[in-house]
Amino acid sequence: MMIRTTGLSKSFHNHEVLRSIDFQVDKTEIVVLLGPSGSGKSTLLRCLNGLEELSGGSLTVNGVDVDSAMSHREKNARFREIRRQTGMVFQQFNLYPHKTALENVIESLLIVKRMPKADAVAAGERLLKRVGLAEKRDAYPSRLSGGQQQRVAIARALAMEPAVMLFDEPTSALDPELVGEVLDVMRELAGEGMTMVVVTHEMKFARQVANRVVFMDGGVIVEQGEPASFFQSPQTERARRFLNQITGERGDKE
Amino acid sequence: MQLVWDNAEFLLRGARYTLQITLVSMIFGVLIGMIVALARISGIRPVRWIARFYVSVIRGTPVLVQIFFVYFGLADYGLRLGSLTAAYLALSINVGAYLSETFRGAILSVPKGQMEAAYAAGMTTWQAYRRIIFPQAARVAIAPMGNTFIGMLKETSLVSTIAVTELLRSAQLLIAQYYKYTPFYIGIAAMYWVMSTLFSIVLHAVEKRLSKAY
Ligand SMILES: Nc1ncnc2c1ncn2[C@@H]1O[C@H](COP(=O)(O)OP(=O)(O)OP(=O)(O)O)[C@@H](O)[C@H]1O
Ligand SMILES: [Mg+2]
Repeated sequence: MMIRTTGLSKSFHNHEVLRSIDFQVDKTEIVVLLGPSGSGKSTLLRCLNGLEELSGGSLTVNGVDVDSAMSHREKNARFREIRRQTGMVFQQFNLYPHKTALENVIESLLIVKRMPKADAVAAGERLLKRVGLAEKRDAYPSRLSGGQQQRVAIARALAMEPAVMLFDEPTSALDPELVGEVLDVMRELAGEGMTMVVVTHEMKFARQVANRVVFMDGGVIVEQGEPASFFQSPQTERARRFLNQITGERGDKE
Repeated sequence: MQLVWDNAEFLLRGARYTLQITLVSMIFGVLIGMIVALARISGIRPVRWIARFYVSVIRGTPVLVQIFFVYFGLADYGLRLGSLTAAYLALSINVGAYLSETFRGAILSVPKGQMEAAYAAGMTTWQAYRRIIFPQAARVAIAPMGNTFIGMLKETSLVSTIAVTELLRSAQLLIAQYYKYTPFYIGIAAMYWVMSTLFSIVLHAVEKRLSKAY
């Protein structure tokens, strides 16, 4: 088991956004999180690596346990351990704008892993090549297209050799013609056996790549299953309504 | 104008003090400003309060009063500072308060996603500030910092009142000697202007360098 949450809850002020979530991800599994806006997908993802503080429950990522009852200090230390083993890709890329593509990729190798510069550069160049951007190594993010920025961001997340990759709507901020190049990199990763949790509205990707689809609404997991059965015969009314809505909006693309 | 040329050496010595006071106060001011900016965004409430109180007092009182307080006021409590030391101290404390506001704004201007990306990559808070947040904040802070810097250069003239022979006081001493105002005031005005213009040019170059990625 790569990820397991038990009774995970999260409130902002008095607004309960995650209600006692039990969620598991196996090693090499590709899980797609679906659900309407505000259902808590991002919050769940961000709880997994401690970008949001837990309000209740506990979780385990790659053997590191965190319980919401632990001291602040203990939680911080453990989440830092989890983050070293987890890569995250954001909707808005969040590349470091003052660093070149290569510098973005090797930053945590130098700072967190304290790898010698020459080794880090070699690793960084390999990663940029892997996402098809070897020739952009010295370009600043402002000179890259959205798709290229997101691919650099994926390379940056891969640099720490994570056991799990978390994607929060990695293609939602992209122009339609740039979505494909990012999804291709993600497909490749999936093919190499990476464990992935992906929040996305790309239904085709979910259908083709996911091993399991998890549908959330109102801060709970409403339904989950294999993509084929989920998309063909959703078991709950809420999932049906969500799928109708989304295929209604995007029917032309599917 | 001949009088100015004849006394150029004396005036240049004054200019050197002006420059020296500006630079020293600026260096310590930057240090104070950074510490206070961090204190103001820190999670520890009393630390935040103290920092806010300091900024509010300094911004709410005249520099001249601050200078007199450090030089004459502290002497009442047995702390007798040389006039140059008092000048350094008063101006550093003053400029530190203004710069802390600049720095705080610059730090807060860096998008939240930057800190999250740094955390997600495994950095500690301090590593994230040092490597990711501060460099981006520096670019934002450099222009207002330059204005403070040039303001400081001119404000140093106030320490002439505690008998530091910087540029203004040098001129005043010469005026007292020759009973002629205009040439000396024009002379030192020109020197202030040249110094601030040089600062502007340097700062502009720094700003350009920091912005090369954008
Ligand atoms: N920092 C925050 N402070 C207060 N409320 C928040 C915060 N972050 C999220 N929320 C609230 O939590 C709920 C869930 O948000 P979340 O971003 O997890 O939803 P989502 O499923 O990712 O939606 P979307 O598809 O729009 O990204 C929303 O109601 C949102 O308003
Ligand atoms: Mg979201």
